[in-house]
Amino acid sequence: MSGTDQQVMAAIVELTDTIVPDFDIKHFADRLAAHGAGLPGIAAAGVLISEPDGGMPGISTASTAEALVLGEFQLERNEGPAIDAYRTGTYVRRPDLRGPDPRWPRFSATARAAGYGAVHALPLRLRTDTMGALSLFSPEAGALPESVVAAGRAIADAAGIGLAHRRRFDEQERLTVQLRNALDSRVVIEQAKGLLAERRRVDVGAAFDLLRAYARGHNTKIGEVAARVVDGSLDPRPGPSRTRRRTRSGI
Amino acid sequence: MDGTRGAHIWTIIHVLAREEHETVSIRHTVQVCARVLSAGGAGLAMMREDGEAEPLYAIGPGTEALEEMQYALGEGPGAEVAGSGVPVLAADLRTDRAARRWPRFSREAARQGTAAAFAFPVGAGAALLGVLSAYRSTPGGLGGDALADALTCADAAFVLALDERGGINSDLWDLIEAAFAERRGEVHQAAGMVTAQLGVDLTAAFVVLRNHAYTHGRRLSDVAADVTAGRLRFGPARHDAAGTDRGAGGRPADGGREIP
Repeated sequence: MSGTDQQVMAAIVELTDTIVPDFDIKHFADRLAAHGAGLPGIAAAGVLISEPDGGMPGISTASTAEALVLGEFQLERNEGPAIDAYRTGTYVRRPDLRGPDPRWPRFSATARAAGYGAVHALPLRLRTDTMGALSLFSPEAGALPESVVAAGRAIADAAGIGLAHRRRFDEQERLTVQLRNALDSRVVIEQAKGLLAERRRVDVGAAFDLLRAYARGHNTKIGEVAARVVDGSLDPRPGPSRTRRRTRSGI
Repeated sequence: MDGTRGAHIWTIIHVLAREEHETVSIRHTVQVCARVLSAGGAGLAMMREDGEAEPLYAIGPGTEALEEMQYALGEGPGAEVAGSGVPVLAADLRTDRAARRWPRFSREAARQGTAAAFAFPVGAGAALLGVLSAYRSTPGGLGGDALADALTCADAAFVLALDERGGINSDLWDLIEAAFAERRGEVHQAAGMVTAQLGVDLTAAFVVLRNHAYTHGRRLSDVAADVTAGRLRFGPARHDAAGTDRGAGGRPADGGREIP
């Protein structure tokens, strides 16, 4: 196995292993940039990752300060190879940054000024989901050897897999907590019904009506009212106007 | 996990739903779990954010009572999964080890003729959504395929529970509402009533209810029904000068008073 193959194998193993308790997306992006920058003939690598909802900017990092500036540059102007790779989900390249480019009029000059001759941007994707881009910068102009392109794609694909799995995992966790909280709230409503029924000497149906009337009268959710009844911070009386009536009549 | 076995389980789930002329639902994953484990009973409990587990659905005679007791006492294979998120496989509930680990659960299981119990986490990683359990009348462990199949059922339950396409997890919510209408609503109402009757917090009130139930060999939900119907009230137990408990005739020492 060639040195590059071994590098790629190591990158794939690392970048797909995202369901770990201490996962940190910034660290993940840094590692991806490091793997990209380690490929033969590559001077620097930049990584862009979107927010889980697809918004940019999410994470922007790079293996050199110059490449980081180029990443920020593209985000600010919403223009450049990484932006295109992210938007289209395809491999976007500028093998020669000399001369004008209608796609990114300002980017090419800036990249050349930073000392790069060529840029190759690979999407971080899994199936139809593109989550970011890996940009590989070469010092000299020219097409990348096929083997390096293949290695770059493998690394970018591995990152796409890892990112997609992590996002799904995070979303599942978020939904699970949401559901558990909703069940809690449901339980508390029943507890409040019982508590009020006992305290007011009414049946649980009437107790529920009390909770609901208070919630409506105070523009609050019934779950919140129930929680406060149960923690002892609220003994619900009906809405404001009825309270005044009651006060006047001395009840 | 073998992808083809997973697909096989999903196929069984879909076929079962189709036989009932229904869309695939969480209930079907529980039923298929019982089937693939050759279990006479199976149940699903859901975790609350406060860490307690709420039994929601059970099939097979006696399963509902066993699940209710297990999660009320925090004792049993399912209760352990609720705490750890790791599967618990009890191939023989009649051993000394099982009796030491789960004294009240194993006694109730024996009373019901349940000899083995297997409980699986429903969730992904750290966030546990629930527990899927299966109960068998004959002892014996699970073969590798059966274990994988049960885990697939648990995974299927998780996927379906999180599915929002039917409108805000309507399938899961139907299960919750059904359970609350049946028995669980009364359990929590009763706890609320006891809170007011005894002037204690909800946790203590729940402990009073469950201790009363299991001391008297009754189901928690039956005791709860008596409380919400006014047939059973709890008041502070009276003490004489020496500080011992004195109950009036027919009044249990925990202060629970039967109303004729």
